[in-house]
Amino acid sequence: MSVRCLIIEDEADTARFICNGLKEAGYTVTWCRKSVEGLDIATSEQWDIIILDRMLPGNIDGLSIVKTLRELGKTTPVLILSALASLDERVRGLHEGGDDYLTKPFAFAELFARVEALTRRAKLSEDVGELRIADLTLDLRARKVERGGKPIPLQPREFRLLEYLVRHQDQIVTRTMLLESVWEYRFDPQTNVIDVQISRLRSKIDKGFSPPLLHTVRGAGYMVSDHD
Amino acid sequence: MTKLWRSVAFRLALFCGVLVIGSTAVFSAIFYFGTIRKLDQQVNQKIASITERLATNFEARGFESLQREIQSLLTDKFDVDTEIYFLVGPDGQQVVGNLSDWKETAAPFDEPINREVIRDGLPSSARLVLHKLPNGAVLIVGRDMKDLNGIATLIWHTIGFGSVSALVLAIGGTILFRYLLERRVGAIRQTVEEIEAGNLAKRIPVSGVEDEFARLSDDMNRMLDRIEHLMDGVRHVSNTIAHNVRTPLGQIRGHLDESLRAGANASRLAEAAEFSIAQVDGLTSVLDKLLQIAESESGTRRQPFKPVILREVVTTVVELYDAIAEAQGIVLTTNIEGDPKTIGDKDLLVSALANLLDNALKYGGRSVTVCVRETPEAGTVSLVVQDDGPGIPPEEQPKVIQRFYRLDQRVPGTGLGLSIVAAIAHLHEAALHLEDAGPGLLARIVLPLCVSI
Repeated sequence: MSVRCLIIEDEADTARFICNGLKEAGYTVTWCRKSVEGLDIATSEQWDIIILDRMLPGNIDGLSIVKTLRELGKTTPVLILSALASLDERVRGLHEGGDDYLTKPFAFAELFARVEALTRRAKLSEDVGELRIADLTLDLRARKVERGGKPIPLQPREFRLLEYLVRHQDQIVTRTMLLESVWEYRFDPQTNVIDVQISRLRSKIDKGFSPPLLHTVRGAGYMVSDHD
Repeated sequence: MTKLWRSVAFRLALFCGVLVIGSTAVFSAIFYFGTIRKLDQQVNQKIASITERLATNFEARGFESLQREIQSLLTDKFDVDTEIYFLVGPDGQQVVGNLSDWKETAAPFDEPINREVIRDGLPSSARLVLHKLPNGAVLIVGRDMKDLNGIATLIWHTIGFGSVSALVLAIGGTILFRYLLERRVGAIRQTVEEIEAGNLAKRIPVSGVEDEFARLSDDMNRMLDRIEHLMDGVRHVSNTIAHNVRTPLGQIRGHLDESLRAGANASRLAEAAEFSIAQVDGLTSVLDKLLQIAESESGTRRQPFKPVILREVVTTVVELYDAIAEAQGIVLTTNIEGDPKTIGDKDLLVSALANLLDNALKYGGRSVTVCVRETPEAGTVSLVVQDDGPGIPPEEQPKVIQRFYRLDQRVPGTGLGLSIVAAIAHLHEAALHLEDAGPGLLARIVLPLCVSI
């Protein structure tokens, strides 16, 4: 069954660009232009994800839609889009009940990776003591990693990086998602710090093992997967 | 009149004037009544005591003796200018005395009365006391009031003159005060007008006197300095932004233009699109950084400052950059003394340190040290990033904090890193120092030390 996605966005160009991309990825997409109508559809129907513009014309803005949804007890994942890039606005957006916050302009790959993370997280959020992919095992309690029965020593932050990637296995994870989730860093670093972190991690978990698990997805980010 | 009333100087001076006149009037009233009443009482007492003495004399030695005593009092050359004695016999005829006559019969006895009389042939305003003797004769003792009335008149004149002088001085003072105030305020207003007209370099002239106006002028001049500095900054930023935005925009346009030309193949189109996306991402990043600087510089705190454990800040940043240091063969060491905290915004401090470390790894040498040093005596804690690279020449140090200023154009970057650090330091009321580490650069952010919990 395909993922049902509702887009509430007044800007036709942005909406079309998101719709087309998600449809190509096999999503069922509904676009709504007005906030009142959007709130109505968001509450009356079942959605897997709602993509919402922060600033909408009229009395009801994006944030109040999220707020109303949460007050009604709806836990549908909400991704907020906004041209308000300040950290303050971001904090507000997440505080009001948004699950993720993406500032415009954004790459479609970035949006898609976040949407995937949100929709799948909703399906598999139970806490497990151990994560596994191919012959790689992460012991979450002892914070130890093994591959093919051989222990791999990792620094604490490397462990968190790997944990995040494995939790989102078979999904594309972008550099900013890693920065935000693993380092809780919300700014754009000048140099390619994430790329270098990933290549160091790759040399530790993939070097001398087969198949390679940590893949680079060109123009988008990274993915942990045991099939090519 | 309403215009005059709107003048603070006028109202203030008028108030002072009214106060002066009012206090003069009260003072004069007290002085006048105090003096005149006292003198008046003295006259009455004197008349009463003489009357009593003469009456006693009459009772002891008889009418003849009284006549003789009066006669001697009138001729003793003492008080001759003011004394009044008059004795009317039981038959109503004058016996002895220096009044021309006494005809009044209804006058009350034994209490002071004021009458116009003829004394020694001259008119006189007199205070008199009539006393009836047991034999039916009437004894009149009195005093010419010319002197006392003279004193009263003199006091009245003095008060009148004083009041008029006070009034004149008050009016003069008002005018002078208003003029002086107007001159000082006028200088300020004139400067403000010139600044309004666009001459932002104009300053209020400051006189040598350290008065309220000098202080106000100083404050305003300082404010103007700050505004001018900000305006210069805005102008500089607008120019550099224009430059830094137009260049990539021009490149994007060029690539897109070229890709549209006849004969462009698919790979050319893809290349143009990729180039454009990369440039737009770069522009977005510059915009985000400028926004971050603006947010920090405007001083509006995003969220209330909280205690921040500096070890966590350093750990986050070092664990982000350790891989890149390793890849470049740079030794990255951290040195944290104790477990100091500061008051601030953790996200912003992380960003500041990340920018410093980014610079150190990009421009530094073979080793970089991040340390946190407490200075409890000064109540500060320093966040230090030190490298052993070429450093920054002293004359360049103030410039590197400017937006878009780049020391080495060959190394890729936006030229905003240190501006962000400076802005974040400013928001935390902290100082950013760049020092020569001989060799290398030592960047230090001096933050307030938080001692509680």
